[in-house]
Amino acid sequence: MNEYDDKWEERINALLDGELEADDAELLKAEATDDRELARAIVDAYQLQQAMDALRVEQAPASLTKKLQAIPRQHRSKPGFSLFNFAQPRWAAALAAIPLVVIAVSLMRPDTPSAAEIAQARQEMAIAFAYLDKAGVITGREIESTVGRTMANAVTDSVNRTIQSQSLNFKENEA
Amino acid sequence: MSKKYRQWVKEYQDQAWTVARYILKDAQEAEDATQEAFVKLWKNQDNIDPKRVRPWLMKVTRNGCLDRLRRRRDNVELDESHMAGDVAGPMQGATATEIGVWLKRAIGGLKEPYRSLVVLRDINQHSYEEVAVMLELNLAQVKTYLHRARKQLREQLAEVRP
Repeated sequence: MNEYDDKWEERINALLDGELEADDAELLKAEATDDRELARAIVDAYQLQQAMDALRVEQAPASLTKKLQAIPRQHRSKPGFSLFNFAQPRWAAALAAIPLVVIAVSLMRPDTPSAAEIAQARQEMAIAFAYLDKAGVITGREIESTVGRTMANAVTDSVNRTIQSQSLNFKENEA
Repeated sequence: MSKKYRQWVKEYQDQAWTVARYILKDAQEAEDATQEAFVKLWKNQDNIDPKRVRPWLMKVTRNGCLDRLRRRRDNVELDESHMAGDVAGPMQGATATEIGVWLKRAIGGLKEPYRSLVVLRDINQHSYEEVAVMLELNLAQVKTYLHRARKQLREQLAEVRP
């Protein structure tokens, strides 16, 4: 075997892998008796295989094992609380509704409020309406992008009517 | 921790580490690369066929190592002095006979994909079919390249043998 020959390599490796048919194996050995280089290649291949067999899979260091075991704790998904969720329109609307309810309850109290209380209530109501209005616009955009303008208008118009109605009631109470 | 993930760590960490160790020749980098591969395994565990986890993991480990090699500034392999100071490396394996030490160095000196082929097939003992999947080669290519890699090692062995 004077030059590289894939066919020789194929047969030598098949011999080592135990995949060479018995007849072919015998033929290869017979050829090796007449070809010193082939014989040398087979011997070298056997020695290499023995050396390979002595190599073992490396044992991972303890530090790596610890890191691998920690992965589930470090990469656990947490779908629960998120500040981002509070920025969503439905949360904004709900948050805005809280002062509205507080104000409505305070207005229903039997005792007459002072001028300062009325001014304070009016200011908080204005802020609440602004929140609701903004939330309604954002919600309307979202709905529009999802189901189209007609449905969005139907929803946002309803919200606006509610706001206007509450605003009117507030003004009547104030009067 | 999921039971199956814990089992995968137990079964495959040494093989993944060995692949990373031979390709990167740097313990710290090999540790990081193996960790990254297992993070990907954890995140993708529901999308991987349980029967294909091992080849998947070896492929991801190897690819991560090759990416790291590419990112090395001048793409030059670490020098021998670095290897010598690295007590946990393949060159100082538990079986450290002279021939074993030499062979580990010789494998580390092979070019890709020969190095990965020898590590995956001859050290990790994966089947030809698994190696073909890991390296995205066909079976004939795996055999041909592996033969060439072994021939290189054999010729080097012949040179150093007394």
